[in-house]
Amino acid sequence: MIQAIDLTKRFGNKAAVDRLNFEIPKGQVVGFLGPNGAGKTTTMRLLTGYLPADEGRAVVLDKDVAEDSMAVRRRTGYLPENNPLYEDLDVVDTLHYSARLRGIEDLEERVRRVKGVIGTCGLTSVVAKKVGELSKGYRQRLGLAQAIIHDPEVLILDEPTSGLDPNQVQEVRSLILDLKKEKTLLISTHILSEVTATCDRVIIINAGRIVADGTPESLSGDLQDKNRLHVALKGPPAEVGMALSRLGGVGNLRPERVDGEEDGFLLESAAGHDLREKVFDLAVERRWPIVAMRQERLSLEEVFRKLTREEKP
Amino acid sequence: MKLPVQWAAVRAIALRGLRNYFESPTAYVILFVFYLLTGYLFALPFFLVGQASVKGLMDFVPLILTFLVPGLSMGLLADELKSGTFESLATLPIEDWDIALGKFCGYALFLLAAVAGLAFFAVAAAFLAAKPFAIDWGEALGVLSALYCLGFMYGAIGLFASSLTRNQIVAFVGAFMMGFFFFALGKIAGFFPGALMEFAESAGVDSHLANMARGVFDTRDLLYFGSVAFIFLYLAAQRLRTRRFS
Ligand SMILES: Nc1ncnc2c1ncn2[C@@H]1O[C@H](COP(=O)(O)OP(=O)(O)O)[C@@H](O)[C@H]1O
Ligand SMILES: [Mg+2]
Repeated sequence: MIQAIDLTKRFGNKAAVDRLNFEIPKGQVVGFLGPNGAGKTTTMRLLTGYLPADEGRAVVLDKDVAEDSMAVRRRTGYLPENNPLYEDLDVVDTLHYSARLRGIEDLEERVRRVKGVIGTCGLTSVVAKKVGELSKGYRQRLGLAQAIIHDPEVLILDEPTSGLDPNQVQEVRSLILDLKKEKTLLISTHILSEVTATCDRVIIINAGRIVADGTPESLSGDLQDKNRLHVALKGPPAEVGMALSRLGGVGNLRPERVDGEEDGFLLESAAGHDLREKVFDLAVERRWPIVAMRQERLSLEEVFRKLTREEKP
Repeated sequence: MKLPVQWAAVRAIALRGLRNYFESPTAYVILFVFYLLTGYLFALPFFLVGQASVKGLMDFVPLILTFLVPGLSMGLLADELKSGTFESLATLPIEDWDIALGKFCGYALFLLAAVAGLAFFAVAAAFLAAKPFAIDWGEALGVLSALYCLGFMYGAIGLFASSLTRNQIVAFVGAFMMGFFFFALGKIAGFFPGALMEFAESAGVDSHLANMARGVFDTRDLLYFGSVAFIFLYLAAQRLRTRRFS
């Protein structure tokens, strides 16, 4: 549905987007993650045909964005960064204007569409308000409503939750979750929790290049250099420690408090080496009930930091 | 850039632009100044020498338009570029050409209302004439048409200036300087030698205005205003296509 093939955009001699390659299948919701200046907005502008690519191609809905721009635009919805709107229009007029510009001429059809998105996006209570008087949360909903008024198959949202308070973020997020049932979505963000909450897949970019691509879970797995397991067994601590240290694959063992249990241990093993079954077998064999066990995972936040940390030459 | 034009979108943009003028204090201030200056300069000869003619409008309204049209056109595109709404427009299934044309049509409609308001002076002149209502109505129509054509052309120039920058003041100054160039060209034509003089005369607005103000509608004059307007509209659309805004 959305495809980038060696997609490149330069400003001056600096590449803002540098040979980007990815393919997003129909129905997938992809979080596009990266620090400020990573090239998210530029990529989205290339995908929507706002900016021409210097090299490579953007293909959306099986059509080349440069060659078949109008066909792509008709079936794509786009929320630009900072959600630009006309401050002096009211909510209904804004939506009617968008619908008209999208060629929805017939009044009955237009009213139906406008009513539809007002309902979907929860704008009923503010229909007559001027855009300039809307709260940030409602503004964002209006931006979304505008982007989906023609019922696009592909939806590209540039930082839809930036600048919102946690409640508003939650509202916009659940709106996006509603949309995701029928559409292919690319959502850029620099807020990590957003991705885990809404996305099937994460593409992390830094300095115009993809540095990671996968499900949120797989990314945390891939980047772990060590496997860390926290366990507490109910048994004589010294004996338990001894037995655990003898388990195959345990590299390092340290006593620690685990989830409130005094006599716990931290077991480290090589990455991808899962100790949980062995611990379970040991516990059964020695009749030491497991009172706590937790596999440590890198949070997406740590993954993000690891990947996008500025590397000093 | 290919025709056909998407008229539905052009109309939507034009009507929105027109409405924007009627809701904008700037536009009202400009209209107020326009009618005030025009009214004063129109009425002056009446008090001095006891007569006023519609033809007299041609002495000063072109210069007033040179100053005031940039005020109406400066925001046309600069505003959208500044607020970022241009990005929404430019990713709709319409060409940049449609955006430029829609903006221009909105302006041209507002101008029509503004110039139509000058018909009041024709009526006033008719009242004040030695033999009431015995004025040359054909000439009056010619004068209003000439002023409209001038404003039409200035508007296209202003649209182009407005596509050059996010800054309205810069757009104003740019529009004024370009407009003034065409305004002054005919006046200084006499200083040029031979062929250059002829060129300056036909490239400047004066000769074309003069014809039309006599009530003579010559295709060549209409073509002049139309093609200058078209060229600047085209330049504005081309400018938008670069997507490089400062
Ligand atoms: N119109 C532009 N002109 C010059 N440089 C730009 C332009 N747009 C973006 N850039 C540069 O390209 C890089 C990527 O920017 P952007 O795509 O906006 O990143 P992000 O959206 O991830 O924050 C930045 O270094 C930015 O300064
Ligand atoms: Mg951005």
